[in-house]
Amino acid sequence: MSTLHEDSGPAGPGGPVRAPQNVAGGLVLVALAALALWLTRDLDQGTLNSMGPAMLPRWLAIAVGLSGLALLAFAFIKQGDALERWNLRGPVFVIGGILAFALTIRPFSMGGFTTPGLGLLFAGPLAIIIGGYATPEVRLRDLVVLSLSLTPFCMVLFGDLLNLPIPVFPQALTGLFPPDWSQKAVLRATAAIMAVAALIVFFVTRGRRRGPVDVADHSGRI
Amino acid sequence: MGDLVSNLSLGFGVALTLQNLGLAFLGCLVGTLIGVLPGVGPIATIAMLLPITFGLDPTGALIMLAGIYYGAQYGGSTTAILVNIPGEATSVVTALDGHQMARQGRAGVALGIAAIGSFFAGTVATLVIAALGAPLTSLALIFGPTEYFSLMVMGLVFAVVLARGSILKAVAMILVGVLLSTVGTDLETGEERMTFGLPFLSDGIDFAVLAMGIFGIAEIMRNLDHTETRDVVRQAIGRLLPNRDDFKQSYKPILRGTFIGAALGILPGNGAVLGPFAAYTLEKKLAKDPRRFGRGAIEGVAGPESANNAGAQTSFIPLLTLGIPPNAVMALMVGAMTIHGIIPGPQVMTKNPTLFWGMIASMWVGNLMLLIINLPLVGMWVRLLKVPYRLLFPAILMFCCIGIYSINSLPTDVMFIAFFGLVGYMLIKFGFEPAPMLLGFVLGRLMEENLRRALIISRGSLETFIERPVSAGLLAVAVILLVIALLPSIRKGRDEVFTE
Repeated sequence: MSTLHEDSGPAGPGGPVRAPQNVAGGLVLVALAALALWLTRDLDQGTLNSMGPAMLPRWLAIAVGLSGLALLAFAFIKQGDALERWNLRGPVFVIGGILAFALTIRPFSMGGFTTPGLGLLFAGPLAIIIGGYATPEVRLRDLVVLSLSLTPFCMVLFGDLLNLPIPVFPQALTGLFPPDWSQKAVLRATAAIMAVAALIVFFVTRGRRRGPVDVADHSGRI
Repeated sequence: MGDLVSNLSLGFGVALTLQNLGLAFLGCLVGTLIGVLPGVGPIATIAMLLPITFGLDPTGALIMLAGIYYGAQYGGSTTAILVNIPGEATSVVTALDGHQMARQGRAGVALGIAAIGSFFAGTVATLVIAALGAPLTSLALIFGPTEYFSLMVMGLVFAVVLARGSILKAVAMILVGVLLSTVGTDLETGEERMTFGLPFLSDGIDFAVLAMGIFGIAEIMRNLDHTETRDVVRQAIGRLLPNRDDFKQSYKPILRGTFIGAALGILPGNGAVLGPFAAYTLEKKLAKDPRRFGRGAIEGVAGPESANNAGAQTSFIPLLTLGIPPNAVMALMVGAMTIHGIIPGPQVMTKNPTLFWGMIASMWVGNLMLLIINLPLVGMWVRLLKVPYRLLFPAILMFCCIGIYSINSLPTDVMFIAFFGLVGYMLIKFGFEPAPMLLGFVLGRLMEENLRRALIISRGSLETFIERPVSAGLLAVAVILLVIALLPSIRKGRDEVFTE
């Protein structure tokens, strides 16, 4: 997209480095090549007639390293783009949201510690709410409504209609419902409760936060 | 010719069943939706929806996924015309004149001509696929591993030439992609390569995970960096049907665009992305008064839009006849096919004729549906555009998590989309384009396999690649392309095409 380079100013930086972005890129490529070479150090390369497992990765790694070096060299010769501004908030919360989902969707053991398997019922809202904080324009109320309405939708769509093997809710929840209810019935009841909760939150908190912020909403900001 | 008719009628028999019609409709609708919304692309969506197709029969699954792909091309142009933001990368050029038309109160005409042009292009492309399918398939049968390897090298060179920005960076990305594809157990010797001893890496990196991380998650992170105001056109959309003058001005651009798009789409290495740019440049060169371009010239919408759709469809040809995916979307199609036990390649047409011809026929049906459903629904898509991004991206995030988890039921897959998302974000920040890397990854395993076989047959002699005439020809084309792309004068022209 054309907005990619909007942060890089036309004026080049001082010093011998003329394209800081390419220096960084070149270093990454060289590091990657070194890592691949180190990882394949014990593998047999074989001959052209019968190629060993290391033949292709090793030569590819060398080629990647060479292009990294070339990029580095050109960075001192040719004028190029400056490094773009890094924004930590976006990546941190987006990754946080995804990790929260991965750790809570089903029991996951890391070392001696096992996370509880909470199913989509909790993993979905966690991903939405944590991930939602990635933008400075975040509004908790909207995220709560969104998660309370999207989660039951996904539960019914993926768990009920499409029968995908995705854990929907923790086992403990079944105990809260009459024992003769099937898994599907519990799923539908939970989804219905959540949808109602979404409506309640939406209508109860509506009109509380009216202000200049809301006006910008209608122009639609990305 | 008689064959063509009987094959197509077989295809329509499959495509017109109630279930397949429904699936094509669903695919087109979802495709248009994600095409309209900027920041959600077909790659991430198809990866997300892959698990849904597990329960369908393979023909239905592919019909739906194909619908998503070309539906997104339609939807992308709606956003380009109304909001001046390309909903998809291929509709960048449509925004130039389309949005100007919208500002002059001719949004409806722009949308109408885009839809009509796309439909015409889709029809022609369907016929092209049907006509070229059989001859290309028989050609593929004489291809040995040597030729396959050279063909894929040529495809990757194409991808380098077509990538935006530095050629060196594009080459590096392709190499990294192929390198990534070698992670996992070596098929010949059974030895693990670069797995860090982690069990979930021993099967290699899952393509859906890589694609969703790089194109879904990284895209979200990048969009969060730029606060853009969506400038939805406030004027009335106006009448949708172009009048006689509009038709007179645009029928030739539509014909030319269709031809360019269809021809470029067949090339391995994602030639389809170049179609709209090439068509726009051509129309501008041919126009009596080129100054009209950029100010709402209808030719600037008709040509690129037709090229875009024709290319999207003919890019199925390398996949269906040779088994080589020319771009990331087609690679996901390979994934969908292998899940159902179908190995893409020349044998699909002989072994699964209903799938092959059914899918081709469904493309035409899908295009007709898009024409019918899209124009009346424009109002609804515009309203969708008013959903702010701060609400949109958490929803995309959750869908990505659910989709990727459902493929293998592995929480580690979900963690990996976060990891690859970060990698993709860093690549973008360092000025690398992720698309060539994904193509390198897609073709990497096939290339290694064919390279090995070719070298076993030739007893370790690399000369086999230039001794066999077909292979030598393909490699020569690759070298010539690379040299041409590196020539200073052509490079300048290439940059101009992409910055326009």
